[in-house]
Amino acid sequence: MKKFLFVLLALGAGCRPESNVTPMKPSVPQTLAVPATGAYTGAYMDFGDNEDDVTLDKIDSFEKLVGKHQAIVASSSYWGEQNFPTSNIQIIVRHQSIPLIFWSPWDKPYDQEIIAKKGPDRFNLNAINEGKWDAYIDDWGDAAKAIGSPMLVSFGNEMNGNWFPWSGSFYGGKTPVPGSTPHANPTPIPGYHVPMKTPDFPPVGPDVYKRAFRHVVDRVRARGARNVLWVFHANNYAEPNDLWNVMAQYYPGSDYVDWLALSVYGEQFKGVDAFADFPPLFDWPVTEIHALDPSKPVMLAEWGVGEFPKEGNKAHWIGDAFLTMRQKPFVKAAVFWHERWQNADDSYSNLHVNSTPEALEAYRKGVADKYWLDRPILRAAH
Amino acid sequence: MPPPKPHARFIFQDPWGHRWPRFRRHVILIGVLVFLSLVVFIQSLLLRPELALPKSVRHLKGQLSAFKNPLPPPLPTQGFKHFFQTHSTIKPVPHMPLRPTQEIRAGFYVKSNPYSILSLEKHASKLTHVCTDWMSVVDGNGRLVFDRDSAVIDLTQRNKLALFPTLNNLLDDAWQPEAIESLATGPQLRRDQFFAQVLHELDDVGASGLILDWENLDPTYQDEVTQLITQLADAVHGKNREIWLTVSVGDDAKVFDLDTLSGVVDHFVAALSDQDSETDEPGPVAGQDWVENCLEELSGFGAPGQWIAALGNYGYDWAAGEKTAETITFAEAMSRASYSGIDTVKLEPPLYNPTFSYYEGPVAHTVWFLDGTTFLNQLQVVRKMKWGGFAINSIGSEDPAIWSVIGFPATPQSSDLATMNRLPASDTVTNVGRGEIVSVDQSKEPGQRTVTADADGHFGSVYNDFPTFPTLYHQGGSDPKMVSLTFDDGPDPRWTPKILDILKERGLKATFFLVGSRAEKYPSLVRRILDEGHNLGNHTYTHANLGLISEAQIRLELNATQRLIESITGYSTTLFRPPYTADSQPSSTAELVPLAIAEDLNYLIVLENIDPEDWARPGAGQIVDRVRQNRHLGNIVLLHDAGGDRSQTVDALPAIIDYLLQRGDKIVPLEALLSMSHADLMPKVLGDKQGFSRIVSSLGFDILRFAANFLWAFMIVATVLVGLRTLVVAFLATRHRPNIPPGSVNFHPPVTVIIAAYNEEKVIAATLQSVLDTDYPGTVEILVVNDGSKDATSDVVRRMLVAEPRIRLIEQPNSGKSVALQNGVAAAVSEIIIFLDADTHFEPGTIRHLVIPLADEEVGAVSGHAKVGNLRSFIARCQALEYICGFNLDRRAYAGLDCITVAPGAISAFRKSVIEEVGGISTDTLAEDTDLTLALHRSSWKVDYAPGAIAWTEAPETFRTLAKQRFRWAFGTLQCLWKHRDLVFNPRFRALGLFALPSVWFFQILLVAITPLVDLYLLISLYFGNAEVVLPYMLVFLLTDFILAVVACWMERESLWKAWIVLPMRFIYRPLFSWVIWKSIFQALRGVIIGWGKLERTASVTMHRPTIP
Repeated sequence: MKKFLFVLLALGAGCRPESNVTPMKPSVPQTLAVPATGAYTGAYMDFGDNEDDVTLDKIDSFEKLVGKHQAIVASSSYWGEQNFPTSNIQIIVRHQSIPLIFWSPWDKPYDQEIIAKKGPDRFNLNAINEGKWDAYIDDWGDAAKAIGSPMLVSFGNEMNGNWFPWSGSFYGGKTPVPGSTPHANPTPIPGYHVPMKTPDFPPVGPDVYKRAFRHVVDRVRARGARNVLWVFHANNYAEPNDLWNVMAQYYPGSDYVDWLALSVYGEQFKGVDAFADFPPLFDWPVTEIHALDPSKPVMLAEWGVGEFPKEGNKAHWIGDAFLTMRQKPFVKAAVFWHERWQNADDSYSNLHVNSTPEALEAYRKGVADKYWLDRPILRAAH
Repeated sequence: MPPPKPHARFIFQDPWGHRWPRFRRHVILIGVLVFLSLVVFIQSLLLRPELALPKSVRHLKGQLSAFKNPLPPPLPTQGFKHFFQTHSTIKPVPHMPLRPTQEIRAGFYVKSNPYSILSLEKHASKLTHVCTDWMSVVDGNGRLVFDRDSAVIDLTQRNKLALFPTLNNLLDDAWQPEAIESLATGPQLRRDQFFAQVLHELDDVGASGLILDWENLDPTYQDEVTQLITQLADAVHGKNREIWLTVSVGDDAKVFDLDTLSGVVDHFVAALSDQDSETDEPGPVAGQDWVENCLEELSGFGAPGQWIAALGNYGYDWAAGEKTAETITFAEAMSRASYSGIDTVKLEPPLYNPTFSYYEGPVAHTVWFLDGTTFLNQLQVVRKMKWGGFAINSIGSEDPAIWSVIGFPATPQSSDLATMNRLPASDTVTNVGRGEIVSVDQSKEPGQRTVTADADGHFGSVYNDFPTFPTLYHQGGSDPKMVSLTFDDGPDPRWTPKILDILKERGLKATFFLVGSRAEKYPSLVRRILDEGHNLGNHTYTHANLGLISEAQIRLELNATQRLIESITGYSTTLFRPPYTADSQPSSTAELVPLAIAEDLNYLIVLENIDPEDWARPGAGQIVDRVRQNRHLGNIVLLHDAGGDRSQTVDALPAIIDYLLQRGDKIVPLEALLSMSHADLMPKVLGDKQGFSRIVSSLGFDILRFAANFLWAFMIVATVLVGLRTLVVAFLATRHRPNIPPGSVNFHPPVTVIIAAYNEEKVIAATLQSVLDTDYPGTVEILVVNDGSKDATSDVVRRMLVAEPRIRLIEQPNSGKSVALQNGVAAAVSEIIIFLDADTHFEPGTIRHLVIPLADEEVGAVSGHAKVGNLRSFIARCQALEYICGFNLDRRAYAGLDCITVAPGAISAFRKSVIEEVGGISTDTLAEDTDLTLALHRSSWKVDYAPGAIAWTEAPETFRTLAKQRFRWAFGTLQCLWKHRDLVFNPRFRALGLFALPSVWFFQILLVAITPLVDLYLLISLYFGNAEVVLPYMLVFLLTDFILAVVACWMERESLWKAWIVLPMRFIYRPLFSWVIWKSIFQALRGVIIGWGKLERTASVTMHRPTIP
């Protein structure tokens, strides 16, 4: 998910009566297969300030731009809306794509500057763990179950950053879990070549997150929403990049996770990051997350780059990304972030796939390879 | 001379005169009843059906209301933000405009606003430049999209205005910054191609320059954008055209390096409105303090004369809960204020921007707008700062007062200001609300304001009374996810069921706007539509264009359809859609009139914004694509289930439904758009309400339907029978061979030619001479019976008989042709008698041919072959053809079957003994020849035909005389048919009884009598647009006639070219025959003998009757 540096408009949208047509439910429950070869291609396309204004027109025009149907279409469900995005998901399902929902526990006005100043809001992880939002979670689970068809849900994404209110930084960070005892033998952190050890005490920030993740998954599963595929979705690099804040500290366990996921962004803000090439942004983090559980498929739940012609070549970056991702056969999906937004300094971050004709051409060319699967493959659920 | 037979009673004569009065009483009684029923029926149609729809749901008045609490104070103006980069140290020399002298007065033309062109046309003389909005660069490859408007190009040329197309980066209302950024950062080749396209377009439209309006650009690219504009400016200047750059005040301006660009472009256009734009929170559109700050700051770049101030004159209406405000015209702002009962609106410092708030139902609205006074305030500063001019943003939405403000002196006097006080109402149609279901308010009232000069040099104003404009109140558009399907022009037996099947399968409900005349034909389809849960709507009775018919007709169209729907289904409809509407934005009061009538009749008017024009059959795929493209424009889809081949619509419908469902729409019936119920829109007809007129209209429609069905069935049967008869007659006629009995070669018995004459002095001599010239070998006696002629007929004959012993003259007092013939027969010396009319000429061989068949002992009479000799007039030529193909063809055909119904008095031969055997020549009919012929058949004598026995007769040459002649024939025929009615279907008489006489009854009496009814029905059908059914029927009839005529001409060795005349002939003969048949029937019913005598005498005058076949 992009980092918010601009003011979001808080716009209420109450629950609406749902469509008069329910999607077809197959007689045998089906789930999303992990493709044996190749990887699903998908995108988030400019779905508005709350990332939930999904329309068929936007999906259609993006597909027309890139020349390929999308196996996965990503959008958000913010807790502040207190709803379930049924109609969004129905649009995506009827379009024969798999929805990827970023289920983000924060409140209006969804403003990172306010979060940075005031900390987490009423949807903070402690409140979730204390059961204050169980009714909402249960309703959400019921609605998810009613969808019937498989959907990917990324709860609390980029938790190893410090820009969202569900990051460990907001919950005590590296402070030891109260009452915990030091590890007798600190365990090596998976994925690190040089065996790095976990901190002596389990850090409380990641611990709160892990518990919230499990709490949410348990409740939704208890409602019978077996069609939900849970996505553990970290940022490629932690911020702060400390041992207590690495992915492994947040990992809620393989029982709770179906897909491992990363956000991999190139330069997004003029002058803030250098224009880094794709491989170093990808290689190490993908190894790190793969090591959490090598049996799980990995997806790039968000990837993209801004247009900074003076600093780097976006077209080249995109072309490189398509080739580099293929080098890790366990990467089974890649979801492109297609958006342009204005920053506080009036400059724009243009992550649009068509920021220039060259960038668009590079994307079209890269995604055209049949390695990138345009339709979800379904199999019978166990 | 044997005494005449006792005078039999004339057929149909009613000596006591009872029949007619009795008949007349009945007719009058029935007539009065029919008339009264008709009156009641029509009245039931005109009576305004009472539609029970709660008024409050639908009407504009009462929907809008002012805020009860005092208005919130105007928002404080935000601190003015310095939004431009700091000046560079080196000031470039500003570019010298090509035409720097006079004040630039530009107008922004808006293609989508119908009033833009109207206002431009009206005020062209007050402008110097017109800026259009139809050119966009839409992607990073510099692709240009044009949507030119030739009306404006033409207008600028006529008025010698400079045309400046605006080149923006908008695609479907969304800015495309990448398009410009990619041009700015991309390769030179791409730019060059783009410049070439732009220049080409400027050439094509004859533009004087170009305006750039590029927005949402990333200021990061300032250098590249400056370079792009510089290159484009060089290219445009190279073609001796100007280039202007629009500078939006705000963040968007940061991308432009104004210092540098002032040396590049001819003018900057400062967009001095949208201080708060449609995506912002409610606030002033262009507050006076803000405008002045902008002017001050902008003047620092380039020279003041380089700047053009684009002054807004429009408004925004923010509805609570909506993301985007609605852009409204000045007139719409006035209408909204007026309808919501706003007391007063003031323009006050420091904003000098008018605003008000109102409720539409429960929804709070805030309006900020710009008007003549804001324009005056802003223009004053612009002129004071010596800017190059101004542009009006936009033409068509402005306060008309600005046109006089433009001409105000530097210091406007109170007399100038007073011109602004009156707020005239106009025909401008304003819109309130959202959606395609509309109601109309036509009221039009002027308003009043007071404009005053404030102490600080600004102008304030107070609205005391708001003008009212004709207004459309839109409803049904509140939920963009809802969409409703509608089908017009049905029902149609072929397509409607297919559409209903698809809807049923998908479980969807739609609305069918029925054309009454079609619904009347297919009542079961109407019931099916309703039974399956759909709505019915009224689409007029005849699919009339309501703009072209009178108000009374509109009411009749609507009520008749309503009554019909009620009588078929038992439910009323409150839905109406006018035929031929293109969209939901009528822009002239003429378009409003029919809507207002429908409104007055309590209908909801259902328009449509999603119109894929399926009626034009663009292909099923194209229909679906158009729905996709237009879906965002509204909530109601228009399709058609009748009016032609709708297979594409049927094919497209499932894909349209799929698409709508895929995009997450709820496909709902119309009532859901209004949050109403099906029963609200289609209330049950209540027995106690207008029960009588409902029963009457229902019964009336039943009768009409029955009559229509009967007429159709009759037409079909008649068509088949006519076709069959034609085939039979043609077949028999071609097989006919003249009967030449053995021994006829030497059969030359003496003959007596009898000529009954009354006032024939002009023609009798020639007639006698033609007989005398005969080559007949046997003895010929010519017997002229002068029926008391008042002219010199007798003298002429006497002169001739002196020299010619074959001629004999008998005188009798005037007593009618029958009596004359009786006397002639009695006096004849020969066994063979030939009847000849006084104006008919024989050929030399006529008698020879005529006598031949009589060699056969069983033949009692022979019909000759009459032809029309005078071909001077069109009427006569028609008859010539009629003789050829009607009478003689029939006679050929009938001769073989021995069922000739008449051996004509004009030319025929009889045996004297046979005439006496059957009782002589009767005097009780006008057609003694038909009567005599039928009498022969009764006594089993054969009647033969001799085609070679040609006699040239004289046909009536005027319509009037033809009508008289045909009346006598028709009446005579009717008399004979009646007198011999026992022959009909009597097997003893074989072909005559089973075929010939029934044919006369059916084809010459019944069919001809019903013809006018059929024709009337056909005309009505044509009016109702059923040409596709009626035309084939007419074609079949005409074709049959034509084929028969060709066959007949061929057999008679006549030129085939004569046959074409049968086509126009139909249109003369059809009404004529109907008229004489009806007249005959009436006379028969009257049964009055008075007047016969005179008619009979007249009959004997024109003795060229070849008779009825």
